Amino acid sequence: MLERLVRDHRVVVCVGSGGVGKTTTAATIALWGALEGRRAVVLTIDPARRLANSLGIADLGDEPRIVDPALLATAGRPVRGSLAAMMLDQKNAWDRLVARHAPSDEVRERILKNRFYLNLSQNFAGSHEYMAIEQLCLLCESDAYDLIVLDTPPTKRALDFFEAPERIRDFLDRRIVRWFLMPYLSQGWAVAKAMNRTVGFLFRKLEEATGVSALAEVSDFFSAMSGMFDAFTARTDVIHEILRARSTAFVLVTGPEEQVLTEAEFFSERMKAMQMPLGGVVFNRVHEEFAADPAAFRGGAVTRGDEDAVRAALLAAGLPVARVPWLASNFVDYQQLARGEALRLEQFRAGLSRRVPFVTVPNFDTDLHDLASLTRMHAHLFAPGAANEKSGPVSADDSSGHARKSRARRRSRE
Amino acid sequence: MFGVLEGRRVLFVVGKGGVGKSTVATALAVAFAEQGKRVLLAQMEPSRRLGEFLGRPGESERVVEMQPDLHVLTLDGESALSEYLALVLPVRRVQRMVVESKLYHHFVAAAPGIKELMTIGKIWYEEQLATKAGPKWDVIVVDAPATGHVLQYLRMPSAAVEAFGPGLVRREAQKVMELLVDPKRTAVCPVTTAEEMPVNETTEMYEQLRDRLRMPLGVLFVNRMHAAPLAPEDVPAAPADATPLVDDVLRCAREETGWTAINRRYLARLREAVPMPTVLLPFLFAEEFGLDEVRALMAKGTLQPGPSAAAGSV
Repeated sequence: MLERLVRDHRVVVCVGSGGVGKTTTAATIALWGALEGRRAVVLTIDPARRLANSLGIADLGDEPRIVDPALLATAGRPVRGSLAAMMLDQKNAWDRLVARHAPSDEVRERILKNRFYLNLSQNFAGSHEYMAIEQLCLLCESDAYDLIVLDTPPTKRALDFFEAPERIRDFLDRRIVRWFLMPYLSQGWAVAKAMNRTVGFLFRKLEEATGVSALAEVSDFFSAMSGMFDAFTARTDVIHEILRARSTAFVLVTGPEEQVLTEAEFFSERMKAMQMPLGGVVFNRVHEEFAADPAAFRGGAVTRGDEDAVRAALLAAGLPVARVPWLASNFVDYQQLARGEALRLEQFRAGLSRRVPFVTVPNFDTDLHDLASLTRMHAHLFAPGAANEKSGPVSADDSSGHARKSRARRRSRE
Repeated sequence: MFGVLEGRRVLFVVGKGGVGKSTVATALAVAFAEQGKRVLLAQMEPSRRLGEFLGRPGESERVVEMQPDLHVLTLDGESALSEYLALVLPVRRVQRMVVESKLYHHFVAAAPGIKELMTIGKIWYEEQLATKAGPKWDVIVVDAPATGHVLQYLRMPSAAVEAFGPGLVRREAQKVMELLVDPKRTAVCPVTTAEEMPVNETTEMYEQLRDRLRMPLGVLFVNRMHAAPLAPEDVPAAPADATPLVDDVLRCAREETGWTAINRRYLARLREAVPMPTVLLPFLFAEEFGLDEVRALMAKGTLQPGPSAAAGSV
């Protein structure tokens, strides 16, 4: 369960590949914090429209917006803290960063119009990630929040997120940038060649081969930026500190599919290598396996061959005859799926440190896209009793929980 | 396969992360290969998974034969650019000096989209390869990167034609652009699931493809369709003395009918927003999703014609 993780940290960063429910998890954690009395903020990257509407951040904003306390009250518990939400607008975040550090309006305008800057701010690998972290820093620096939950951009490569600040810093490395700052460069390679043979030669070859004359633009960008490098370097140090602080925790969100788990495995290995402890793992949208009575089903598992037995049990229970065949075949289908997922999760967990808390969130019978429905996830992420009262609708779900203990757990006891 | 795709030689399979885009691309490639076509599956991002599907571990940056008619190529912009430079900078020492310099890396980042252009250029290169018997590949299936990213790639050739000075790159870009918009050779096939986020993203992408990129469209794949024959409210209530087994059977039924309802709702929205011939691919209940499932996937697809076909024009 994740309640200690959230209670003991100020910053919770949700990481994982695209489409696994990272945004939903981040919003759910922040909402729980708010209900527990924290001043929580969730920074989302690309929320579903319904969730964005539900949080009141359907349009992009520069500042976090407080979620209407009346909406929070729909979560079915007394609201003791507050929840704010914000959606990251990458382009705008870059522009604001430039505006913050630019020494004059003239320099700012020069940078914002530069084609190289436009490309860098939109396409540079890690640029989106860098901005998410930059925004995180701003939130950390403000005293308005004591729980900051960050949703991260879907990463193509697991490392993008952590490497982004270093990559940007390397890119703006003074030693390289110096070359671009030589005043003659903006006049083109012909002049450059006369002044510095190697640099001029390289540029000439590149321009000849490609037909791209980016030189003047690049040079102009770096000369405009030259006063700002120290600010950037100082920034990456702050970022480094925040990401490695004891008050920061990373939560890996993953699904049970093979492909997604492969990514997640890679991610957690890399974090280990970087000595960044994983604060928790959320297995989302898991199909739960039924723990059958071994006396009735061989091995305590329902397999394809058991469809007749399931049908008989349903008929004996007095379910409508016409519905029974589909109910039974659907059930064995789900068991097949659930068994595969349980095995993969078990393998995944074997590679995790025992200390890493993990939670399994079942595949609900609906998608969770509004504030009230997020609380359905709470019962699976956080131990009950933390709050004064238990929320109603979830306990109905738990009643069958005893029969559905995971196969993995059973096996580990054997 | 799926009439509209007949004769198209380059299929771009695009979609949001997590919807099964690579699986659909692989399934398409395998299905074409099983029809006896010579197929190249070009991945724009390396995937460790693909090798497992096809019984080969690892990844590679050149064309690798997976089974007799199916080859795989992993594309990588930087190495495509280096390869290209090798063609135009014949002196090896000069080449190395350029490619290994730090300036080069800044240049690649600075010159907008040159990596993207080179990647797409490599697909064009494979498309026009020929043997005595005709084109080297009957079909090239491109497993494209996730949505936002792929649009950058597809936009690149025309942007390059406009932005770059006359030279080799512009000439290349022109040829690549002609391939991308040629309805006789190319088709874009979006993949989605019938859920909120993927449907929104697919709708936006469709509008981009149609209005800005003007690329010829193939079929839309809607993956992981649940198909319960009941509505959620038709799932019987649990009897008072229900056993855990009966409870769990009903829970699974609620889950399946719930997702079926979600899928139907979003499919209806999708069909309205994205009027393309649509192939529905079922959610497969498998313990493991392996080559057998990949093989089975396309055969289980059902085609729903686009609006023009309903009027009898396709």
